[in-house]
Amino acid sequence: MSVTGTQAGGATVKERAGLALNNDFLRKAVKFTTERLRNGKINAAEDHGNWDEWRERGRQIRLHTIAHLDYYLNLFADNARANGVNVHFADTAAEAVQISLDIAKRAEAKTVVKSKSMVTEELHLNHALEGIGVEAIETDLGEYIIQLAGETPSHIIIPAIHKNRYQIAELLSADAGETLAPDTQVLAGFVRRKLREKFLEADIGMTGCNFAIAETGSMVLFENEGNARMVTTVPKTQITLMGMERIIPSWSDLEVMATLLPRSATGQKLTVYMSGITGPRREVDADGPEEMHIIIVDNGRSLQLGDPEFQELLNCIRCGACLNACPVYRHIGGHAYGGTYSGPIGAVLTPALKKNVAEWDDIANASSLCGACYEACPVKIPLHEMLIYLRRRKLEAGRGDKMEALGMKGFAAVMSNAKRYGAVLKIGQLGQKLVVRDGGIRLKIGPLKGWNTYRVTPSLPKESFRQQWKTMEEEIRHGLQDMDPAMKDRMEQIVKDRAAGKGGHGHHG
Amino acid sequence: MAKTDEHQAWLAELEAKSRAKQVGFINGISGKLRRPRSAEPPAHPFRGAPEFWNEFEWPIDERVEKFRANFKAAGGHSERLATMEDARAFIASKAEEMSAKYVIRQNQPELNALGLEEAIPDASFSVWNSDAEEHWKARAAEADFGIVVADYAAAYTGSVTVLSSKDKGRSVSLLPTVLMVIIPIERLHTRLGQILVNFDQAGRENLPAGIHFISGPSRSADIENDLTIGVHGPGVVYTLIVG
Repeated sequence: MSVTGTQAGGATVKERAGLALNNDFLRKAVKFTTERLRNGKINAAEDHGNWDEWRERGRQIRLHTIAHLDYYLNLFADNARANGVNVHFADTAAEAVQISLDIAKRAEAKTVVKSKSMVTEELHLNHALEGIGVEAIETDLGEYIIQLAGETPSHIIIPAIHKNRYQIAELLSADAGETLAPDTQVLAGFVRRKLREKFLEADIGMTGCNFAIAETGSMVLFENEGNARMVTTVPKTQITLMGMERIIPSWSDLEVMATLLPRSATGQKLTVYMSGITGPRREVDADGPEEMHIIIVDNGRSLQLGDPEFQELLNCIRCGACLNACPVYRHIGGHAYGGTYSGPIGAVLTPALKKNVAEWDDIANASSLCGACYEACPVKIPLHEMLIYLRRRKLEAGRGDKMEALGMKGFAAVMSNAKRYGAVLKIGQLGQKLVVRDGGIRLKIGPLKGWNTYRVTPSLPKESFRQQWKTMEEEIRHGLQDMDPAMKDRMEQIVKDRAAGKGGHGHHG
Repeated sequence: MAKTDEHQAWLAELEAKSRAKQVGFINGISGKLRRPRSAEPPAHPFRGAPEFWNEFEWPIDERVEKFRANFKAAGGHSERLATMEDARAFIASKAEEMSAKYVIRQNQPELNALGLEEAIPDASFSVWNSDAEEHWKARAAEADFGIVVADYAAAYTGSVTVLSSKDKGRSVSLLPTVLMVIIPIERLHTRLGQILVNFDQAGRENLPAGIHFISGPSRSADIENDLTIGVHGPGVVYTLIVG
């Protein structure tokens, strides 16, 4: 089963979003999951307290490390090598793939078991491994499911967010060669048994890297299932792919990241497993890899270094909080973004990694610039500002829409002067009387053509946004109310079960 | 994979390539940062947690209470026991209750002194890495119970820390169905930072290959957000705070 970077369907974000918007289940599932994660994060942050001070500390550590990345990355490489790790540097995706394939060939590997790694998604490494006859098996439950489906992750933390358990039961039944009930315990139990065998027979374990500690040459993984521990404990060879910006200076700095990452990703105080791995197994140890490789990947990351508008992108700790906070992501889901990374971070990172190539131009527009992503970001990356920089660069490169350029200029002229704004608003409220029907504008001409093809432009309200702000804020704070009743029931049942102590120990035999 | 001479030669070749490439790769980063590369460590004024946090500490009874509450909230079990004899009796009763047939444990002095083998006579015991010929990962994979003594624990997150060594397999806390962790009470701290700082102080040469923080049973919410316990790691985890 191959996983490539291309999704079925449209070529532009607009077309792919159209597909997503027509998929009712996807839309509800994404909305529900992101709401849950977002609320979990908000509660965890409140519960922990002083959240903004922690965010600021996280930001300072990341800023400091990136500002001295040459020093810290060099230190990490030297220390990791001293620990007995084979360290490799790859400027491009192609180089990183080549190094991985060489190691796999030398190990005469038949199978590679993988734990979650966004970098390997970025490199389309599974596809390359299959090209030389090596089976690459994703072992994170969600990743395993979407690998069976031949798809790519739609959410950085919950990759199979877009599948329901009936679809999952169908995929796993085909894999098992027998019919499995669409029951979470049954399905997860099957995957546990199946992957146990795979872990024990695999030649290579492959991982990503959440953080790399420069001062001791250690790599750190956060996870809940235990599959990352499996792939770093059982196979004889370990290959870790890490983005060159994953560095932090010390274990003490890890406390800050361990405080920010799980709370921001899932609302947990800490993931079930946090593992720090310092080199291959020692001579006297009876488990752990005999041979360990770390491949340090640039693949477009250095393009952001020294760029005042985008350098802070390298501070990202890949928590997914911006996806959950983003009203656009919550409606269109991850696949609509078309790249490895989705949501607000993907909208900025994908063009940045790809040198703003034309193909990605339109994803910067998949945002309402509301700033929720910045508010959610545990290291305070100003994503909403970066989206504007991207749009500006697109216009400067002459790839923009003439109407948008004109509109931006006009917008700037009007917005920079409160009196002018008031006057324009009045003109609009009067002028719209010519075109408003049933409280909306359906005219498909001029600047309204694109918008009105899909929806109705609301008429200008009697009360302006500024006057309504208090009520809006109230709504935002209380979240979206329209949850699917079946889902709501299921969640309430889970909460009840959990309170009753069920579900925590149903699996021993 | 046999560590043949040919393989070693290939690795050496890779290392030479990597060292050569490192210079250009790192210089490239300095270039992008528009300044010459410095060999001196930069001053890092924001190292570690904020100052107010480093002063925070719970008294021991509160630590125990919070640890247990957090561990249970994550789906695990936690008890406070007065003595190691109580721990032996507790583990033996659970082994009987769940009919544990295979037990694997670390080769730690506290466990060697505990006499678990006599307390659970019906189970077949393996003691990690006591025989070089044994296939230790398979022993751990077949085990119903894995038994370890924690090196550290942190109450604020409900986490235990286990370090690997010749006598302490990483597999013992990972592959069995049920994990039993004994926490001597003096190893229970408040914050993660109180544990992590030890690894900075020990320095690179003195770190074990594996440092693992465990904060509950293995879990996943990947299928429709429905929480599943025991996906790859142990689904049942007991932490026994002794003292």
